[in-house]
Amino acid sequence: MTVVDEDALAQRASRGEAEAYGILVERHAPMARRVAYAILEDREDADDAAQDGFLSAWQAIGRYDPRKAFRPWLMQIVVNAARDLRRRRRVRTADSLDRVSPASRDDPARVVGDLDLGERLRAALATLPERQRIAVVMFDAEGFSQAEIAGFLGIPEGTVKSDVFHGRRALRKVLESVKEEWDDR
Amino acid sequence: MTDNMSPFSADADPILGEALRSALAPPFDAAFVGRVMARLAQRSSRSWDEELAQWFWRGLVAASVAVVLAGWGWTRVGASPDGNDASTTVASELLDGSLPVADIVIASMSPSTP
Repeated sequence: MTVVDEDALAQRASRGEAEAYGILVERHAPMARRVAYAILEDREDADDAAQDGFLSAWQAIGRYDPRKAFRPWLMQIVVNAARDLRRRRRVRTADSLDRVSPASRDDPARVVGDLDLGERLRAALATLPERQRIAVVMFDAEGFSQAEIAGFLGIPEGTVKSDVFHGRRALRKVLESVKEEWDDR
Repeated sequence: MTDNMSPFSADADPILGEALRSALAPPFDAAFVGRVMARLAQRSSRSWDEELAQWFWRGLVAASVAVVLAGWGWTRVGASPDGNDASTTVASELLDGSLPVADIVIASMSPSTP
């Protein structure tokens, strides 16, 4: 689907066409679920948050300005929904972070030795501070600009830049360790 | 490429990005989309209790307006210059007979004679 198609769909959705909005939901669901997972670190919570985001966006569709890009507008709503859910379930999130020892936070490669690449990356993400986790996923995986991410999170662009740098450094260690393992075999 | 990219680079890292997307790829996208669309449809068609609640508030507002208007009308009649209530005023006008309408009303009330 081209960008033009997306603009046209967003315009139709902004006029209240549910069918057009359905296509947009289908198109952006994987991204919304990935970003919500990066924030919440739990599949079910991420799906609940992504769903809340899509429902809120539909409720607010009358306020969407069709001259602007739809994706960042939607993403802001999904990020807010996920952060809101995380605030409400803070105790559970704190439990999951507590399982990661402080030492492993310094060296994510240490906790991810025997897992496959996907599991290793998820485990390494879990060792990152939340802001770094969100910044690196939104920047490298979802292709948002650092300025857009700064807007989503309500932080300065320089902070996003620093978070992306630190997040990347930790995740690249994991990629490199996997690559070395494969080279040794 | 990840190997050659500086961590400071302002460009997205395609290799890390792809690895992250597949690591975070959620299962059953179609099921998720179906779930969201079902909830959207549910919200579009309001349930009878939501409908009733909306009519309840509209009814309450209409009843309040009616009460205020009735109260205002009552005080207007009560505050007529000669101090009589509405029924007294009508009766006195009929008895007076000076108004043309009184003849019609009195004629219509009188028993019909052959």
